[in-house]
Amino acid sequence: MKKQHLVMIGNGMAGLRTIEFLLKENSDLYDITIFGSEPYTNYSRIMLSSVLQGEATFADIMLNDWHWYEENNITLYPNETVVQIDSSQQVITTDKERQTSYDKLIIATGSNPFILPLPGNDKDGVMAFRTIDDCKAMFNAAKKHSTATVIGGGLLGLEAARGLLQLNMNVHVVHLADKLLNNQLDTTAAKLLQQTLEQQGMTFHLKKESAEILGDASVKGLRFKDGSIIDTDLVIMAVGIRPNVKLAQSAGLQINRGILVNDYLETNIANIYAVGECVEHRGTVYGLVKPLYEQAEVLAKKLTNNTASYNGSTLYTQLKISGVQLFSVGKMNETSDTKSIYTYDEIGKTYKKVLFEEDKAVGAVLYGDTSLSGKLLDIIQKQKFIPDQKKSTLLQPVKIEESYAAKLPKSEHICTCNSVSKGAIIERVLTNNLRSVNEIKQDTKASSSCGGCKPVVQELLTYMQSDYFHETVKDHRFCTCTVMTEDEVVDAIQKQQLTSFDLIFDHLNWQTTSGCATCQPALHYYLEMFYPERHRNTDFLYVDPKTNGYKEEDGTYTIVPQLYSGKVPIDQLKRISDGLIDYDIAAITLSTDQRIKITGIKKQDVRSLCNALNMTLHSFQPHSLRSIQIPESTLRRDQEKLLSLVEKIESRTEFINFPATMIIKAFCSKQDLSEHLFDLALLQTNGGWELVSNRRILCKTDKEEDIVQLVLAFLQYYRRTANFTEKITQWMERSGIVHIREVLFDDELQQMLREDLYQDQQKRKHSFAHQPQ
Amino acid sequence: MTELMLKYFRDKQQKVESENIYDTQCPYCSMQCKMQLIEQRIVSRKKQKTIGKDNPTSQGRLCVKGMNAHQHALHQDRLKQPMRRIGDEFEPISWEEAYQLITEQFVNIQREDGKDALSVYGSASITNEEAYLLGKFARVALETKHIDYNGRLCMASAATAANLTFGIDRGFTNTLQEIPDTRCIILAGTNIAECQPTIMPYFEKAKENGAYIIAIDPRETRTTELADLHIKNIPGSDIAIANGILKILIDLDLIDHDFIAERTEDFTEVKKYIETINLDDVVKTTGVSLDSLYQTALVFSREPSGMIFTARGIEQQINGTETVRSFLNLLLATGKIGKEASGYGAITGQGNGQGAREHGQKADQLPGYRSIENVADRQYIANVWGIEEQQLPGKGVSAYEMFEKVIAGEITSMFVVCSNPIVSNPNANLIKKALKQLRFLVVSDLFLSETAKLADLVLPATSYLEDEGTVTNVEGRVMLREASYPIQGEAKHDWEILCDIAHQLGKGDYFDFSHAEEIFEELRIATKGGKADYSGITYEKLRQEQGVLWPCPSPDSTGTARLFEKNFAHKNGKAQMAVVPYQSIKNKPRLSKEYPLYLTTGRVMSHYLTGEQTRKSPSLAARDIEAFLEIHPHTAEKYGIEADSLVRVTSAKGWIIVRSRISKAIRKDTVFVPFHWTEKQNVNQLVSDELDPYCRMPGFKMSVVRLSPAN
Repeated sequence: MKKQHLVMIGNGMAGLRTIEFLLKENSDLYDITIFGSEPYTNYSRIMLSSVLQGEATFADIMLNDWHWYEENNITLYPNETVVQIDSSQQVITTDKERQTSYDKLIIATGSNPFILPLPGNDKDGVMAFRTIDDCKAMFNAAKKHSTATVIGGGLLGLEAARGLLQLNMNVHVVHLADKLLNNQLDTTAAKLLQQTLEQQGMTFHLKKESAEILGDASVKGLRFKDGSIIDTDLVIMAVGIRPNVKLAQSAGLQINRGILVNDYLETNIANIYAVGECVEHRGTVYGLVKPLYEQAEVLAKKLTNNTASYNGSTLYTQLKISGVQLFSVGKMNETSDTKSIYTYDEIGKTYKKVLFEEDKAVGAVLYGDTSLSGKLLDIIQKQKFIPDQKKSTLLQPVKIEESYAAKLPKSEHICTCNSVSKGAIIERVLTNNLRSVNEIKQDTKASSSCGGCKPVVQELLTYMQSDYFHETVKDHRFCTCTVMTEDEVVDAIQKQQLTSFDLIFDHLNWQTTSGCATCQPALHYYLEMFYPERHRNTDFLYVDPKTNGYKEEDGTYTIVPQLYSGKVPIDQLKRISDGLIDYDIAAITLSTDQRIKITGIKKQDVRSLCNALNMTLHSFQPHSLRSIQIPESTLRRDQEKLLSLVEKIESRTEFINFPATMIIKAFCSKQDLSEHLFDLALLQTNGGWELVSNRRILCKTDKEEDIVQLVLAFLQYYRRTANFTEKITQWMERSGIVHIREVLFDDELQQMLREDLYQDQQKRKHSFAHQPQ
Repeated sequence: MTELMLKYFRDKQQKVESENIYDTQCPYCSMQCKMQLIEQRIVSRKKQKTIGKDNPTSQGRLCVKGMNAHQHALHQDRLKQPMRRIGDEFEPISWEEAYQLITEQFVNIQREDGKDALSVYGSASITNEEAYLLGKFARVALETKHIDYNGRLCMASAATAANLTFGIDRGFTNTLQEIPDTRCIILAGTNIAECQPTIMPYFEKAKENGAYIIAIDPRETRTTELADLHIKNIPGSDIAIANGILKILIDLDLIDHDFIAERTEDFTEVKKYIETINLDDVVKTTGVSLDSLYQTALVFSREPSGMIFTARGIEQQINGTETVRSFLNLLLATGKIGKEASGYGAITGQGNGQGAREHGQKADQLPGYRSIENVADRQYIANVWGIEEQQLPGKGVSAYEMFEKVIAGEITSMFVVCSNPIVSNPNANLIKKALKQLRFLVVSDLFLSETAKLADLVLPATSYLEDEGTVTNVEGRVMLREASYPIQGEAKHDWEILCDIAHQLGKGDYFDFSHAEEIFEELRIATKGGKADYSGITYEKLRQEQGVLWPCPSPDSTGTARLFEKNFAHKNGKAQMAVVPYQSIKNKPRLSKEYPLYLTTGRVMSHYLTGEQTRKSPSLAARDIEAFLEIHPHTAEKYGIEADSLVRVTSAKGWIIVRSRISKAIRKDTVFVPFHWTEKQNVNQLVSDELDPYCRMPGFKMSVVRLSPAN
């Protein structure tokens, strides 16, 4: 489909925000052309006062640079003013006599500063404060002159005055009303503001009406109607703005104070839209950025055929003056219908007031501490019902650090549907710099299904954005030899079939030639797990179940007879002691895992000693399951039951390496759970069996065979998904108990895991059996 | 289910060899979220995933139950052929043998014990077509008056209250889309966040827009977290709360006099009673502060719009009907009904809780919400069915009462369809005894449920993935559930089974249907002119409009979005306010030395009803593996209950053993146990057999119990 041509008159904030929204909604609909009277790309006009105050540079306040226009295929004609709209032909003409036709036209011409019709207002040194050029002019003037007068004690006037003060000028502020910001502040707040600004160095002339600007070619002074005079080199007019509607008017658009638009920002002429300060909507002309952005979003939706409508905005004020914290919204002054709650700290210079009509807050002013502004704005905008008991609490600080989301343990799920934990959200927000609930939803899936947890996600985000949150992203690199994470390395080992150290180092660009103390043992473990048949442990001598031994560092061998839970039949014990005497071995070790270790055997003696012992040996390896222990306190009859279970699990995990050492115990009494240390426990209860880890019941079943199956599947899933050296408890914390249960409760998966474990065991055993002698 | 973390599956899991997509609808709660099952074949494994599909009600959202609904439907334990009991074992038989057995037994039993010795126990989880056909089956094929269904345990109070007050019972009087625009919401005894999760965004949006939300619940839940005001009352004291609020409204003159005068009846009587109430007594009875009551009265009356939602918390009481009516009084007194963003919603529990209560599964009801005791209604339906009015049986008894009739020997055989009464009824020990006592029990289900285990014959039914038909959701929106998944084993649709049996019994002419849509066509005629009028709805219209809100009385009607804008449904067009004294029920459970704590019950997010389906689903079972006892730490200490320990909970009716879960979220005088588990964890064993006098609803939400450690 051929793209339509969208022309925008005006290159300011409201217009460009419209284009940005529009591109986000659908970038394929329009070819876009923009005309701007200023020579710059779109910049933040509201930040000019910060530039003047020395808190930002011109570069800082650029919102869209040339590159952006190019990247989005937007044709920009800067320094070029549209002078005519022919709405019947749908063509516009510029001051450079360029003609362009349009399918859709946006008028975003903004507003002009109002210049008082005073005698002398054409003198050198009279200026407005509206554009980058105005700002530059002030910088220049400040270098040559010492005194400036700002006419207008409103927002813009005060911000300009503060900037001029920063440029080391003497600053007068002239204001018609008896208090500053008379539309936005009550008397108390205005007085506090005046005191602060006077301390900063401003001189105020309240209730003064200007009459004439004095001087010859350049400004020398200002005379008021009451006859008094002040000396000044500059006069800055900041008495208000007027929508820039001249062009629109000549094009036949309906105008009142601004260009009249409906709730969809449509003008009275088809295909012509208007947005921003030049617009009048339901009788209101807006001059603050937030309402303009709200209009922009609606217009963008309209132009991309989505439904949205603009219903007006609640106005609020936030003064951008260093050293001043000020916020105000809605009604300011008491009437017979209002009641107010306020706190006034004359010492700390803070003032907070909320004005109520019955159960609704209708206005608020904050001076000195504006941290409650968000909350107050919200309830006023939404006309929230506030019961009497809650009214006074409105001025109490919001304790986000004590909110539900802040206090929730990190392992808890915020999103039940998609099993997204608080920890997971925090990690993604930090790593991917997520800024909104919507971004979190897209990135983590939290709140993407039923949507019920959205308020908690919002609360967590607010908490993370507050001063109470200090966490930062951890370094997730596997080790210093690589930039990859452990997961990525493991993934690559399998996908690229990397079967050896050399292949890994080569293919994954290892930064060292032979790895480091961190990666070596881990890679060894992974290679052995993924390719059990290939990787032979040369430290292990295996001939058959009765003939094997583990090589110690000093070159001697260790043999470990197979005992289940520390039980030694007496004839076995006798053969062991006979063997020890025959082979001149002085002592045995009783290990913590209830085994007898015969150590210090010379290599040449291993086979013959094994022959002499003639018993099944425990094929001991560094990370194998050592033994499943049964507490001695267990009653004899119970021990028998547990033993058969232990034997089944141990025999089916023989030869298998695990990510970390682990302690598994089997109990018959619930009390044992609290008295013993373990990673995993099998608890026999009246009703059957429970599998317990991390003080939580992982699962329960009433059949003995089921518990064996569950444990085997559990162990295999642990092996296959845990990181190297990750303990069972850490792994469970990370993956979540729910996830592990989901796997175990799926009969098909459970069976697959057990089958897989069996295959691994066979392969390991097979690789030992071919061990060279 | 969550993607596997298995590192070593990565390479094996990648190649998708084929993919099939099936349109369907969630089998669980009343939101009836539209969804799609995506089935992929990867190497040797089949992998399924369920995703949401846009629709007017749930807008494409799904909760954890919906996302995993395929897990039980495709579970290996699904019944795949009919099974007959031989001693303690079941043996597979053919459908022919099964039908033969049913015919023999039914004929014998009716000959020996009388026509009404046969009974039918239905469900609110079956389609409208099946609910309709089941009512017809009982009355025409079996010629028995005994039919009732599990919806009796669910929606009866709200339905009866709405019928009495408004003259019609549609779950929501307004559409869901109006919720975000309302200014005040009262949630009375409903935990929507866990029971109907996908409805939550409507309420969250309302709150974002500035609505004031009040939740009434003895526990803090995910729902009460959303509320501006949580009224944490003593279980079962809800009437007193509503009456107290009404008193404040009247005292402060915050009522809508014009609305009351023009649109309601009996306000004078209500006012007269309300004036006798003492607010201090209300505070004492409810455990709620006076402030909370005032706040509620002020905000609900002063805001320009408001809605009240009720659910089982206030409805599953032995004065449930009156409790709902006391809240409806508030809507009428403030004129907040029949207007944009003002109205009532009964949050239906089961998937087809609405539709299943409209088409004749109830003992006293005929299709289209007609009465079995009204001669004109009987005449109309008899005509539609092609029988004589005299042939139509009269009114039977309610669900629980059927089991009492079994014990009394009056009912000797039962046909249970898609229900697990042994777990869901109160006084479960009696239900078990009754079921065992039956001469012949037939159960049609997906699984060998606790009830099916006691059956003489078990029939394999199809699941939501296989069985096409319409359901009516929480709003009263009729929706067409598409179903094209291959039938598992020899399973049959419930409606097919009914038709087959009817043929065997020689009533085949009345049950000559070969497709669900044909049944719907007859249902349209049967509901024409009734309160729940579906006659203007067709499958085609349902597909086009994505569902239709009834009543829809003509082909050119697109349904009715908002009820009562001009009239209520009573003959005189007015709503009937009700005098509902708190003390009306004398035998509500009371605390005593022997039973010093209140017990209330409810759902958890990942399970549904008796858990028969959700406990089979690995992803849902993983979230809650067993029942629990929520108990306040002070209470736990007082009764020597340790954290995470097994506790015996005893009532006058029985005992259960569940694990403690200590939490400050619950009142100190109350404990909570969810009801999705069976045997020794089945909390319904503790519930008394007292029933609401108007609608025969048991008092699930309020029992009295004692606790002791169980080791």
